[in-house]
Amino acid sequence: MSTDFFTAMEVSASGLSAQRTRMNVAASNLANAQTTQAAGGGPYKRRDVVLAAADLPNTGEMTGVVKGVEVSSIQQDQSAPRLEYDPGHPQANAQGYVAYPNINPVEEMVDMITASRAYEAGVTTMSSAVNMAEKALSIGK
Amino acid sequence: MSSIAPMKIGSIESAPVVEKKPEADLAHSFTKALDEARSLDNEATQKADAFAANDQSVGIHEVMIATEKANIALRYATTLKNKALEAYHELMQTNV
Repeated sequence: MSTDFFTAMEVSASGLSAQRTRMNVAASNLANAQTTQAAGGGPYKRRDVVLAAADLPNTGEMTGVVKGVEVSSIQQDQSAPRLEYDPGHPQANAQGYVAYPNINPVEEMVDMITASRAYEAGVTTMSSAVNMAEKALSIGK
Repeated sequence: MSSIAPMKIGSIESAPVVEKKPEADLAHSFTKALDEARSLDNEATQKADAFAANDQSVGIHEVMIATEKANIALRYATTLKNKALEAYHELMQTNV
């Protein structure tokens, strides 16, 4: 059985996995927007997902032509922490400043919405591929 | 041009008789389609089990995609069967 209809499904599936990872990372960044203590000392550092095009198994004759996507790495944003004056805070330094994560909640919301829309686009692609297969099966009916 | 052999009158009669086995072919492709559907169904069941067992590497979309694939493969097999039966009934209703 030719798996040509399944190729589009495999590719969209890899995209869905990637967008799910982006959503997880955006959730982590938003949840830790006020975290002043992280592993290795200092405040939490913002995470960024790096995506890469990848060859997928089970893509039949389209292997190497169509590419799926995979998460190649999740990197920490090394930009400087946000300093806020709060002498009463237990994590305040000698000058009374507290280092908060380098996270802008608005940016994270935008990332989250982008991931969510990209996921929807992947699902739509998938539905179209399934629809095409169903239409093919109903030829002559 | 010279490589094309001129057509002889006897060439049609002497052509080898192609043995046709349409029933066997259809049965074969139906069996293959069923096998495919079964293996995809097994895959879908494995994914669903892994997801239910809290396997972090299996996303819910992978389960849905695997079930959709199994669904398409099964419908393909069913369509083949329906077409074959339709043809059979058509033949059986032939007035002699």
